[in-house]
Amino acid sequence: MKVMDVNGRPADILLVEDNNDDVVLTREAFKGSKLKVNLHHVKNGEECMAFLRKEREYSDAPTPDLILLDLNMPVMDGREVLAELVKDDALKHLPVVILTTSDSEQDVLNMYKLRCSAYTTKPVNFDKFEHIIQGIADFWFTVVVRPPNDH
Amino acid sequence: MQRLTRLARLMATAFSLQYAVEETQRHSEELTEAKSVVEQSNIELQQFAYIASHDLQTPLRGVAGFAQILQRDYQGQLDEEAVEHIGRIVAGCERMQALISDLLTYSRVESRSRPFEAVDLNEVFDDVVAILGSSIKDSGGEVTRGELPTVMGDRAQYSQLLQNLIGNGLTYHDDEPPRVYVSAENGDGEWTVAVRDNGIGIGTKHHERIFEIFRRLHTQDEYPGTGIGLAICRRIVQRHGGRIWLESKKGKGSTFYFTIPERGGEQQES
Ligand SMILES: [Mg+2]
Repeated sequence: MKVMDVNGRPADILLVEDNNDDVVLTREAFKGSKLKVNLHHVKNGEECMAFLRKEREYSDAPTPDLILLDLNMPVMDGREVLAELVKDDALKHLPVVILTTSDSEQDVLNMYKLRCSAYTTKPVNFDKFEHIIQGIADFWFTVVVRPPNDH
Repeated sequence: MQRLTRLARLMATAFSLQYAVEETQRHSEELTEAKSVVEQSNIELQQFAYIASHDLQTPLRGVAGFAQILQRDYQGQLDEEAVEHIGRIVAGCERMQALISDLLTYSRVESRSRPFEAVDLNEVFDDVVAILGSSIKDSGGEVTRGELPTVMGDRAQYSQLLQNLIGNGLTYHDDEPPRVYVSAENGDGEWTVAVRDNGIGIGTKHHERIFEIFRRLHTQDEYPGTGIGLAICRRIVQRHGGRIWLESKKGKGSTFYFTIPERGGEQQES
């Protein structure tokens, strides 16, 4: 069933999301995809930056192949994460897919201005959500050439 | 003496004139102030509706998502009654989702509007018929049009307007398959567009209030709906400087009319 991977290892995907229900739903949605996934989760932007910079408890964290970034989060939100990522030479090549409830045109425009890789919204309907997650997995792991990642 | 009287009269006139001028000034200042208060409260209302809708979606996605997973992955392990209960949760979530999405549309009539452009209503009609394709097919109905004009306005909002009015015609009907006909007439410097259906009709006493938000005449079981659709229509028509009303009798079908000023292009502040 799981036939897609990254050079023989599972894809490392970092989910930045404050809501636990959304985390579980995202895991469930990945279950239906053909991609072998290690889904890592952090609950806000600050944790995300620590994960990517391998700070604190994240010293052994892998460099993710893809980041799924929520926008509205406490402490440090997704907009601030993206703004910080583009300023960081060691991190700015990482593909970031925005995964949010917000379909505000302001957010969409601003996130593309910060050069996010794609902007997607989370629908209420789970079948549609699954479709979106699987679409992301298919596109990013069978269609595009991602930046080199030797962890 | 006569002179004095005249002078006194003149002075009195000048006085009252000055008073009138001051009064007018004061009124216009008050008006400007009132207008900015209204504008401010409109902005706040839009922000509130946006945030409420946005923040309501997150917990709803949890409830809907897990109920759908139960429905799909645990069918065989649950008894008939449990399956039925889950079905009700899923249906409730869908209703809530429709409400939130309509509230968002309503809050965005002003905040997410486009500058006016020339819009061919024939094209808008064709798009709307395509969008409503499955509900037209499901109802066994027919949606047709006469020759429609090209008018100034916001294309997306005209599309929303026709979609809501035609959609109502398709929803509120008896055993007879719905027929909706859209036509337009020109006169008095404005276009009047009519959306006529052969549905259940609306009693005269409801004709005003039906455009108010959350005003419904039927339960969900009779006819599904959120009670926001016509309020959206009214807001869109008002933004385009027109009026909206209906002619209808119970059991005799309804015709919704809206006007579009011919000179067009003037966006209404509201
Ligand atoms: Mg969240």
